[in-house]
Amino acid sequence: MDFILEYYFDFGLMRDQFGPVLEGFWFTVKLSVLAGILSLAWGLVLAVLRQLPGKPLAPVRGLVIAYIDVFRGVPLLLVLLLVSGFLGSAASPVGGELLPRSIGIPEWFGQPSPFWYGVIALTLTYGAYMAEVYRAGIEAVPRGQMEAARSLGMSHGESMRNIIVPQAIRKVIPPLLNDFIALMKDTSLVGFLGLTEVVQAGFNFQSSDFNGSALVLGALLFLAVTIPMARLVDRMISRDQGKTQRGAASDRDSDIQPSGPPATGMAGA
Amino acid sequence: MASQGEPQEADAGGVVISLDNVCKRFGDLEVLKGVSVEISRGEVVCVIGPSGSGKSTLLRCINLLEPPEQGRILLEGQEITGKAAAEGVDFVRRRVGMVFQQFNLFPHKSALENVTIAQEKVLDRDPAEARAKGEELLRRVGMGEKMSEYPDRLSGGQQQRVAIARALAMDPHVMLFDEVTSALDPELVKEVLDVMRELAAEGMTMIVVTHEMQFAREVAKRVVFMDDGLVVETGPPDEVLGNPREERTKQFLGLVLEH
Repeated sequence: MDFILEYYFDFGLMRDQFGPVLEGFWFTVKLSVLAGILSLAWGLVLAVLRQLPGKPLAPVRGLVIAYIDVFRGVPLLLVLLLVSGFLGSAASPVGGELLPRSIGIPEWFGQPSPFWYGVIALTLTYGAYMAEVYRAGIEAVPRGQMEAARSLGMSHGESMRNIIVPQAIRKVIPPLLNDFIALMKDTSLVGFLGLTEVVQAGFNFQSSDFNGSALVLGALLFLAVTIPMARLVDRMISRDQGKTQRGAASDRDSDIQPSGPPATGMAGA
Repeated sequence: MASQGEPQEADAGGVVISLDNVCKRFGDLEVLKGVSVEISRGEVVCVIGPSGSGKSTLLRCINLLEPPEQGRILLEGQEITGKAAAEGVDFVRRRVGMVFQQFNLFPHKSALENVTIAQEKVLDRDPAEARAKGEELLRRVGMGEKMSEYPDRLSGGQQQRVAIARALAMDPHVMLFDEVTSALDPELVKEVLDVMRELAAEGMTMIVVTHEMQFAREVAKRVVFMDDGLVVETGPPDEVLGNPREERTKQFLGLVLEH
């Protein structure tokens, strides 16, 4: 029993190792935020491309679907290794110096190249996940919204930008946050490339001290961020449900006309 | 003279919209089986008929939400179907306003924003101008007090009046109404019909798909009875509603007017 406690919760070790572990966590946070923002944008681009209308654009839709299928169906670690291996090689004599060194082995803004490989791989993969989330949101907007916008003379693009996407995003903020939590945890894979983020930092201490406290400390740092986010998601969802149940005769539930008195009573001319 | 040729010519005949043998199918279902109708400037035409008769599809064909597969549609003398459909879409949507059964207000925009957004994005009106126009129209439909409300705070009748103002803001030459009172609680129907009466009195060209026979009788210059994808009978409301020639019209009216 004592051994278990000591192995996981040696507070003395935690205190001593807090600095390096926190430094690793700082990498994790930077990587998550940057890759998170880029995935949000890339996912939206994919989702919008997937909704392009008309026969001539079918190849574009097909490509997007293929992309999403591939990146959702392949382990992130594999993508990470392929990205880093290719870029690194392409900038070296091995690959015939296909890429300039500063791009193949990027060290932008003082961050080491594994950091940027991680940003790229995470964005490629989570862009695909988030595209599916956006798509669900876009498809949940009633068809009448697009028809109304088009009937007012807006083009497909204007309708998407002004009418459909703003409504879709509101619907999918909670699932997007869930994806962000998953993304944040997956940043630990960048440790494979030698970046000492929080898990790698903890693992290094575990290997040298035969004690897991630094890893537990890393877990606590994760939880300090992910639990509040999970609660935030819960609150957003329950608030959203409250709204729908109150449901005045809004477009959202256009097929089911709530005939309850609140709808008319509330507005009551 | 030549530069303004098209609208002038169209005005000469007074015909704003003409449909010639319009056909539309969804998969195996033939919804319109060759409909030909002409609508003149300032005319109010009510389209009646059983559900599934193709009334709504007819309206949706006119503004190309559903492009017809066969037949021709001319708007102000210009063909908008067939090869012309690509440019036709813009041409139609700038001239034809539509109001839907389910209102389709934009729920993330206030009543006023609903009325201004397309003015700004499509007609490039500056925000102040769009706002002035929007406020004027909302007052006209009796929604002057509710301009900053969001749709989910409005009753169905109020939403529908905003939707009418939204369509009018684009200065349409023709207004299409697709069963605009069917989703409303009975006590809210009148406020919407009153707005439409007023519009008709001002000389707006209107095509109204409706189940409100009293409204058709009062306001329509002409009633079109459709059944099974075809125009069965058309004429002044007194004739079509009061003294129908066709058996199918009689049957339908018998069912509708019973209660």
